[in-house]
Amino acid sequence: MNKDIWVFIEQVQSNISGASLELLGEAVRLKSKMKNPGKIVAVIIGSQLSELIQVVSMFGAEKIYVADHRKLRLYQPDYYAAILTHLIHQEDPHILLIGATYIGSQLGPMVAIRVDTGIAAHCVELKIDDNDNLVAVVPAFGGKLLGDILCPNYRPQMASVKPGILEKPERIEVQSQIVPVDINFLSLVEPKLKPVGICCHEPKGVPLEQAEVVICGGWGVGDAEHWQMLEKIAAKLGGAVGCTRPALDEGWSQGEHTMVGTSGKSIRPNVYLGFGISGSTHHVCGMKDSKLIISVNKDEEAEIFNFSDFGLVGDIKEILPLLMQSLGIS
Amino acid sequence: MALKIVVCVKPIPDPAYYKDITIDPVTKTIQREAIPTIINPADKHAIEEALKIKEKFGGKIITLSMAPPNVIKNIHEALAMGADEAYLLTDKKFAGSDTWATSYILAKAIEKIGGIDLVITGTETGDGGTSQVPSQLGEWLKIPHLWNVIEFKIKNEKEVYLKTKIENGFMEWKCKLPMAIAVSREINTPRYTTIMGVMKAKKKPFQKLTFDDLNLDEKRIGLVNSPTQAGNLHLLDLSRKGKIIKGSKEELAQFIIDNLKAGGISVEADPIICSCEGETGNE
Amino acid sequence: MEFFKFSEEQEMLRQAVREFVDHEVAPNAAQWDEKDICPVELFPMMGELGINGIFVPEEYGGTGLGYIERAICLEEISRHSGGLGIAMMTHHLGMSAILSAGTEEQKRKYLPDACSGKKIVGLSVTEPGGGSDFIGLKSKGELKDGQWIVNGRKCFITNSSIADIDIWAIRTGTDTKGRPSLSTVILEKGMPGHLPGRKENKLGLRGSVTGDINCVDVKVPPGQLLGKEGAGAKIAMQAISEVGRAGMAAICVGILRGCLEESIKFSKERILYGKPISKLQAIQFIIAENKVDYEAARLLTYQAASLKDAGLPCADEFAIAKLYATENAVNAAKRTIDLMGGYGVINEYPVGRYLRDALASIPSGGTSHIQKLIIAAGELK
Repeated sequence: MNKDIWVFIEQVQSNISGASLELLGEAVRLKSKMKNPGKIVAVIIGSQLSELIQVVSMFGAEKIYVADHRKLRLYQPDYYAAILTHLIHQEDPHILLIGATYIGSQLGPMVAIRVDTGIAAHCVELKIDDNDNLVAVVPAFGGKLLGDILCPNYRPQMASVKPGILEKPERIEVQSQIVPVDINFLSLVEPKLKPVGICCHEPKGVPLEQAEVVICGGWGVGDAEHWQMLEKIAAKLGGAVGCTRPALDEGWSQGEHTMVGTSGKSIRPNVYLGFGISGSTHHVCGMKDSKLIISVNKDEEAEIFNFSDFGLVGDIKEILPLLMQSLGIS
Repeated sequence: MALKIVVCVKPIPDPAYYKDITIDPVTKTIQREAIPTIINPADKHAIEEALKIKEKFGGKIITLSMAPPNVIKNIHEALAMGADEAYLLTDKKFAGSDTWATSYILAKAIEKIGGIDLVITGTETGDGGTSQVPSQLGEWLKIPHLWNVIEFKIKNEKEVYLKTKIENGFMEWKCKLPMAIAVSREINTPRYTTIMGVMKAKKKPFQKLTFDDLNLDEKRIGLVNSPTQAGNLHLLDLSRKGKIIKGSKEELAQFIIDNLKAGGISVEADPIICSCEGETGNE
Repeated sequence: MEFFKFSEEQEMLRQAVREFVDHEVAPNAAQWDEKDICPVELFPMMGELGINGIFVPEEYGGTGLGYIERAICLEEISRHSGGLGIAMMTHHLGMSAILSAGTEEQKRKYLPDACSGKKIVGLSVTEPGGGSDFIGLKSKGELKDGQWIVNGRKCFITNSSIADIDIWAIRTGTDTKGRPSLSTVILEKGMPGHLPGRKENKLGLRGSVTGDINCVDVKVPPGQLLGKEGAGAKIAMQAISEVGRAGMAAICVGILRGCLEESIKFSKERILYGKPISKLQAIQFIIAENKVDYEAARLLTYQAASLKDAGLPCADEFAIAKLYATENAVNAAKRTIDLMGGYGVINEYPVGRYLRDALASIPSGGTSHIQKLIIAAGELK
């Protein structure tokens, strides 16, 4: 039985998902922890993949299975799952890692059923134990709890990880063996489900109470110009903007309905990002149950830091333009 | 064109009581019997979508839950919202099942109910949050399945049109029933439960199914037989550390970006180019 | 045996109403109070939920439940908006009069629209000459050419300008003992001569409309008479004592719960001397007093409602419940304002509104002094 670590390389319109490359880097790290390591193998499915193969081989994939066909240009679950299943039955890998993206969150569990194995989803950490088995660490109950997940009796041991959780991969030049996959067997697959189009979002406003990320601004934002930056950043992230009473009174915010606090709204997003907020009880009561709280304030003694996971001491007027830049906002 | 719809409804521990959850050190499972349960919020959107379909085409809505027996209140709530019938799969043998085993059990129950045109679930649960059961359920039932559905239209007898939300955009699909969908909370706004609905709830058919009622392989269910096994559990210290971070403006901006990603917020800048495939696009 | 426990359906009903209130009432209550507007657009929504016709039989479009369930609805609504509570309370008041005294034709004509929320109902009894002294009312109805001609002026009437259906108590004659003989008559908005007048600027219960209504030679067909001629005093009294007072009691149970919950929330969040003020005994005393008042008012109110649902006499019990709930809602609100210190008198917080709503509840459906007279009369007979 080999100890190969497989990584599914996801691509959408010839853009490789960041999660896939991060997992490749992670595979390299995990291999180094194993007593009897195998190969690092990538599987890439799509159409016109020659450039992407180059990228994959730059990050440590020793073997790359390539299923390249026009039929596979748009993601179709049955085709992609059939190819992965076929390869798994053929090669019997030890571990299979997949990004917990839209595609991966469906493909992973589908393949797990077809090859009869377990999959740990949305892992925040991956480890190797003394028997060279994968240990996946997953959060539960909104992240209050972390649990180790093992899959000792079934192969491959599967895990999915969301983008941005793992370290950015490092370039490792390896001689990659490219193996084209013959997909003639797909003609036997007649899916009832057909993808007919793919399109970009119109950014739609998300209600404050439902947003996964909320950017709150206080008096320290300083002026309407910088407030606009908050609005743009929130829109880009698919989140919402909240304010404190002073920011509302200055006329920067969109209105009373965006005020967060005891006499305003209560929110509990995954990420709360506060700019120029002092941290009065009024406001804190409205956001203290957010999962991750990051506050930015130029005053190191700001009260808000006592209620934050991270307190960034810095000049908001300098940081906001840099954030816009990193997010590709003009 | 009456449709028989199954909605999977999961009772989960009420987040307001998370602080009371303890861990059994021997079985390493979560001890949550004493915690009140609520209907997984995403499942209410699933029920609402079923109600809209029934209003338009007629049919029957059956809720299906796999849980310990003390969740009757939640079953009644789902019936009060407008479902017609409820099933509760409950048996000590089911306890501790992972998503593989859970989806297997649910699928067997759906097969037993029979004649199902559509299975609707929420896209994720408030406790486990893996979003895996809908896809695995579809596999067991050998029907097409999609998750994160933001739009669902039944065109005629068997043709449906769907939109799913993906990173930075959406995909459009055509499919035939029967199929399984996991709906996003964006798809609809659940209607308020009416008092009339409340009064009718307990009179609606409600059946408990145990291991003996389903055609299950005992060696593939429950804690011990699930492919994934729980190892050590760590309770996190939830107090805010208030860690002060100082640095250059570039470093601070990068810190924010990294933590947004770690918090599950998509910051990928890859834009999507819109393209329509039409019927023949996938040859 | 548990002396008083809600059934599972009643708990589910409470949960369903609460979810509606949390989304549609709680976020807007402060604004309705500040701008003094009654959210009439919610009546059809509450109709769909089954709140409007909660005690009306299903055959007339109602929900077919009783007065315990009605009290649950009013408590939940008034936990956030006493004003909307009294608007709904009055709607119920009028419907109950039609239900208990109306002909089959009148019930079929008016109740379905009232249950659906298409139409709003009011009950007009009080006049400038007195509310407590209602037998002495001056509005009159005279029978001429087979029609009733109604003339008079009512004041302090809830739902005055928004009621589509307005039930008037009028003097229609003299009885054999020379005392005024009263009748009730169903008037409709738009009848020539039926005119809502000035709107009062109230200190509390401001999510509702209260004002004058005038009748100037309103011609009314005899089919509009509610109950027999001369039965008006009994019909009006029964409605007020068993449905009106009952409603005010339930509204103040809601306000009491609001005071209790706000006092607990604030005391856990407010940090002074390095810890939450909930650690201080004076604060704990206030919370205990709020709790006792809430529990007592709750038990009195629901117990009286259970008597009405059982068809037993309940007027005295509702008088006791109303007296206790309204007076103690005022006490609890004042205590909670004290607990909150400076914040208690800032209008961004709801407690000032709770105090004003509780104060305005006292003269509604009979003043506390009147309640005491009723209670004493019950004991001294």
